[in-house]
Amino acid sequence: MIPLVAVVSLNKENSRTFRLWVPIALIWLLLVPLVVLFSPLILIACLLCQVNPFRMFSVGWQILSALKDTKVELGRRTAAVSVCIL
Amino acid sequence: MSEYRRQILQMLSEKKITADEAERLIAAAEGTTVASAVNGSSSDAKLKPKYLRVQVDSEGNYGGEGPTKVNVRVPMQLLRAGVRLAGLIPAPALQRANDAMHEQGIPIDLTQIKPENLEELIEQLHDLSVDVDQNAYAAKVRVKVFCE
Repeated sequence: MIPLVAVVSLNKENSRTFRLWVPIALIWLLLVPLVVLFSPLILIACLLCQVNPFRMFSVGWQILSALKDTKVELGRRTAAVSVCIL
Repeated sequence: MSEYRRQILQMLSEKKITADEAERLIAAAEGTTVASAVNGSSSDAKLKPKYLRVQVDSEGNYGGEGPTKVNVRVPMQLLRAGVRLAGLIPAPALQRANDAMHEQGIPIDLTQIKPENLEELIEQLHDLSVDVDQNAYAAKVRVKVFCE
């Protein structure tokens, strides 16, 4: 299952934590028509590079699925940012 | 209610132990039970780490904002998918990448990294821990890479 939500947290000194829930599912939905639109170009590129297009889509899907539970935190004394893909 | 919990509560009611002690005893007993219940699967979990963690602690005062901490957690699944992606790279491109790495003194043959070999590699990663301490620009930087 590909990740559907990302949580971006911003924490500044002496202020409340700002937490933003980003619905990545909407981004995937927006990307679908683009992928369909550009699929002939992608197919030609795959053939030119001698790459199996089905395998490429399969690996792309696996990479998207594997992004789940990825977490990146960056903190300094005055502020901290964290991105968590759920 | 389990026997150990009943005994602990009995001791509590008889005021042989305090509420705090009872709580600790129950927690300890439950921990032992859970550990023994999952004992069979724990060895598998030990063998297969789920995440690659990279932690960077810098005590430098860049821009006057104090020390910097970076904490990255990457799922092992992403590593697996990455290797599968590398499997899509055409052989001539891999060869060129190998040549470029050899020129830089990195003796890694990318053609030998295959998804079939990856599981073995990931199993070995469980014991991996890389600690780098460096004093750069008068600031102590510590990088820690490990699997969990």
